[in-house]
Amino acid sequence: MTLAIARRIALWIVLLAGAVIMLAPFVWLVRSALMTDSQIFVTPPQWLPDPVAWSNFSEALTAQPFYLYLFNTMLIEFFVVTGTTITCAFAGFAFARLRWRGRNLVFGLLLTGVMLPYAVTLVPTFIMWSSVDALDTFYPLIVPAWFAGAGGGVFSIFLYRQFFLTIPFELDEAAYIDGANPWQVFWRIILPLSKPVVVVVVIFTFIGVWNDFLGPLLYLGGDDSKFTLALGLATFQSTYTAQWGYLMAASLAVILPIVALFFLLQRYFVEGVTLSGLKR
Amino acid sequence: MSGPLDLSRRDLLRLGGATALGGLLAACGGSGGDDRGSGGANAEMQYMFWGSTGEQKAIQEMLQGFQKKNGGGTIKPVFTPGDDFDTKLNALLASNRAPDVSYLNTPMAYRIAAEGKLVDIAQYFDKYPQLKERLPETFFWWDEEHTLGTQGAQEVMLLWHNKKAFKDAGIEPPPVEAAKAWNWDQFVAAATRLTVDQSGRRPDQAGFDAKKIKRFGALAPLWSGAWYGLLLSAGVDFLDEAGTTTMINSGEAIKVFQNIMDLMYVHRVAPTPTQLGNNAPGLAVQLTSDRVAMSIDGQWALLDIAQTRTDYGIGVLPSYGTPTTTSMGGPTAIFSSTKQLDRALELYLYESDPTASNLFASGLWMPLEKKYYTDPAQIALWTDNKAHPPEYKTAVIDYTLNHSKAYFYQKTKNIEAVDKLLVPAVEQMQTGKQPVAKVLNALAAKLNDGVLKGRFPTPSLS
Amino acid sequence: MTATDVAPPAAPAAPPLRPSKRGRSGLTKTEQRWGMLFALPAVLGFLIFTVGPMIASLIMSLTDWRIGAPISFTGVENYQRMASDDLFWKSLGVTTYYTLGSVPAVLIVGFFVAMLVNTGVRGKSLWRTIYYLPTLVPAVASAVLWIWIFNPDSGLLNSALRSAGLPGSNWIYDERTAIPSLILMSTWGFGNAMVIFLAGLQGVPTDLYEAVALDGGGAWAKFRHVTLPFMTPTIFYNLVTGVIGTFQAFNQAYIMTNGGPNNSTLFYIYYLYTKAFTDGEMGYASALAWVLFIIVLIVTVLMFRNARRWVFYEMGGAR
Repeated sequence: MTLAIARRIALWIVLLAGAVIMLAPFVWLVRSALMTDSQIFVTPPQWLPDPVAWSNFSEALTAQPFYLYLFNTMLIEFFVVTGTTITCAFAGFAFARLRWRGRNLVFGLLLTGVMLPYAVTLVPTFIMWSSVDALDTFYPLIVPAWFAGAGGGVFSIFLYRQFFLTIPFELDEAAYIDGANPWQVFWRIILPLSKPVVVVVVIFTFIGVWNDFLGPLLYLGGDDSKFTLALGLATFQSTYTAQWGYLMAASLAVILPIVALFFLLQRYFVEGVTLSGLKR
Repeated sequence: MSGPLDLSRRDLLRLGGATALGGLLAACGGSGGDDRGSGGANAEMQYMFWGSTGEQKAIQEMLQGFQKKNGGGTIKPVFTPGDDFDTKLNALLASNRAPDVSYLNTPMAYRIAAEGKLVDIAQYFDKYPQLKERLPETFFWWDEEHTLGTQGAQEVMLLWHNKKAFKDAGIEPPPVEAAKAWNWDQFVAAATRLTVDQSGRRPDQAGFDAKKIKRFGALAPLWSGAWYGLLLSAGVDFLDEAGTTTMINSGEAIKVFQNIMDLMYVHRVAPTPTQLGNNAPGLAVQLTSDRVAMSIDGQWALLDIAQTRTDYGIGVLPSYGTPTTTSMGGPTAIFSSTKQLDRALELYLYESDPTASNLFASGLWMPLEKKYYTDPAQIALWTDNKAHPPEYKTAVIDYTLNHSKAYFYQKTKNIEAVDKLLVPAVEQMQTGKQPVAKVLNALAAKLNDGVLKGRFPTPSLS
Repeated sequence: MTATDVAPPAAPAAPPLRPSKRGRSGLTKTEQRWGMLFALPAVLGFLIFTVGPMIASLIMSLTDWRIGAPISFTGVENYQRMASDDLFWKSLGVTTYYTLGSVPAVLIVGFFVAMLVNTGVRGKSLWRTIYYLPTLVPAVASAVLWIWIFNPDSGLLNSALRSAGLPGSNWIYDERTAIPSLILMSTWGFGNAMVIFLAGLQGVPTDLYEAVALDGGGAWAKFRHVTLPFMTPTIFYNLVTGVIGTFQAFNQAYIMTNGGPNNSTLFYIYYLYTKAFTDGEMGYASALAWVLFIIVLIVTVLMFRNARRWVFYEMGGAR
């Protein structure tokens, strides 16, 4: 009994120590967001803002139409997250649980798509979108997501595949014997058992879009009424100028929604609900 | 070079695009490229630029002012934040969607100018004679006859300082007149008087703790834009006359660099790079917080410093004999793909008028035409305001006119390759662990081994 | 001992053929059709958005293309040039060093923390969110933070070391410690790996833990014979994506060090990026990209080959 208590205390100590390390940046971000530029860089560093520069928030958030940028970002989020989550799950299912000729070859080819540095595919891709007059529209950012996310979406396919492979095949067999088709197996058996991985894909895709800077810069940069939050944020920090207080305040405002999102979604990581009770 | 397999760029890109989109797009692939209208006076133009939110607003207002004055179609400000300006511009250029007028980074400007992508301003000297009135050093000539134009604005390096620190130390601030510029020893002496550790001791006093500095006397000029003026004042340029051999390892240059490193490691009056840290705050913050008493920095700092309540001053750089400072500025150019060349040229002239935007009066930019440096009435147009201090006329305007030379990054061919060798070499020296002469000799050996391709000309305009 | 009996084989040499419960003819044909149908969006996406630019860049690598200039074929000249390009070799070395350090560190810490926050500890949600926070801070903001943490004079790390009586370091300001410092920084961003491990841990069948417990196995036996084998697909995923991603590390060099000091943090992609967009040498940059592509491809193929020996899938899975 005492052993169990000691173990619990040890766990708490480890978790707390880790949390201090993990939280330090966040605390630092909050503190910097409330400081003027000269306070941020004073040496030795001071942890508490004095006086508190609340104005960073109001000024950073009114320096640009952040609500408009938020709307644009959410619009892209909606289409990209749904598209990626669904079409990547399809592909993951095909690669993990169905047997078809060329399966492993196709999977391997898809994976090569993320191995070539984007710096050299960027220009041809840009020219492609330019040639269909899609610049300064949301299409170049949204459409690929409905084709398994194109480039980076392969990681999501791979992730689905790895998880689907851990589900016992007896489940499919039983369903097929009962006359189900692969769609029904996917929809009624595999997907419901895979909530944690769906959540991971949603979170990762959401954050990826949220923080993507280069994509919006290239494809929306010609029209500042289509800017996203990440583009707005970058305005505070560029090669020749940096407005740190504003940057930190805006960064904080921008990450709070995704912190909340993560907090809400992570509860789907609940141990054991998926497979317990299954006859093995 | 061009063999039988010589593909045009367009062909290649078509190939890529066609492969990608398959037959679907092959049909309409021809529509790629410029579709900004027929080029009539009411067609849209694009002006691409970077900068802070303040600069963004100022440029937008300048463009609106131009439209109000000249009529015509809208000029769309294409604001490109962050560090990926070149990336975006390359992509636009590759897909034939270059803006009409744009800020540029120097290496890219020369490169694409030589390929005919930028308008040759020299052809319009007769039509717009005031173009010829711009300071000769601000031009970017890609050969003897052709220029892609000038810098978007003029900037020079100055010796900024906190007057209060000098008063506290009981010493005179740096001279504002080039003829009276400090020599290096005077600069070091002043920096020594200005440096104090946390217990109030100076570097020349016993018990001075170099690890706990309250205020540094100076910042070491480690950036090439900052040390170039010192080098020139010692009678040495980065390149020799022919432009094919570097002088960076000459006896004078070694002395200049040794002295800079000694600021940090011998005199202990300047922070080492590790003490300063990457991403250090700008000059305004350093001076305001009394962390540093003086620093060689660009004229552009005036915008930020004038907004603080610091009692700052401007002086001329220390000199090794011939007082000299560095002038610089990124080019602004017109793309030859523009459909409205005349209007673009008008805009090009308009934006450099110091009354067209507040970027001059606020202290960020200096004008390009000579009359703004010589004619008192014209000088007043942009300096008669709160941002510009009384010593500005002598310490900046006269200094620029008579004692400045363009930054060698703007005049040296193949500067991208030079930069990749120069920056690491300075980083080696600034650790204080490698002998300056050894590093510079190794650097020179590499540079002289075919990296140097000469310099761009600065032909006379008359 | 008997615990091993209930646990799945950790290293199935070759998974046995799937029991032929399904009719051989009927369903396999349907399965083929459905398989291709499910993979269709991904395959189309690959053909439309990926293959074209890939081929274009391969062709570009055989030319001297500079954006804005006419183009001519130079054959393998770009590839030959690499052999004598010091910065190419330097950046390859830097990137390999970084990958070898960062990937294992992120994997181990991520796994360990995922295990910790998957236990019955109170406030699980909060812990998980806290540990995930660093990955949410935008790159620019976290770079500024780390520059300050690494400051040898006033930074958090050296202050902490000094108060513990240990000698400090010059971190990213010294050629020798720059990459280890960046590895340390990357480890702090283990959140993504942790989240994937967390999701993976939900798939470990709890009944097997009970079986191990019945056999008298302790925590170690549960970990070794149940958790670890069931987690191998997830570990494999994090390993492969970690290696592919880390080979393309870029931001730290771009935002924090500009490749310095003295090129000690010249990441491959950073070098390639400046070649492509600052110097405009798109042809040479493409050649650089394809060399990296081949390297990453070979490493990935080797990992997949090797995976057969240690990754456990449900029977009838990947073959």
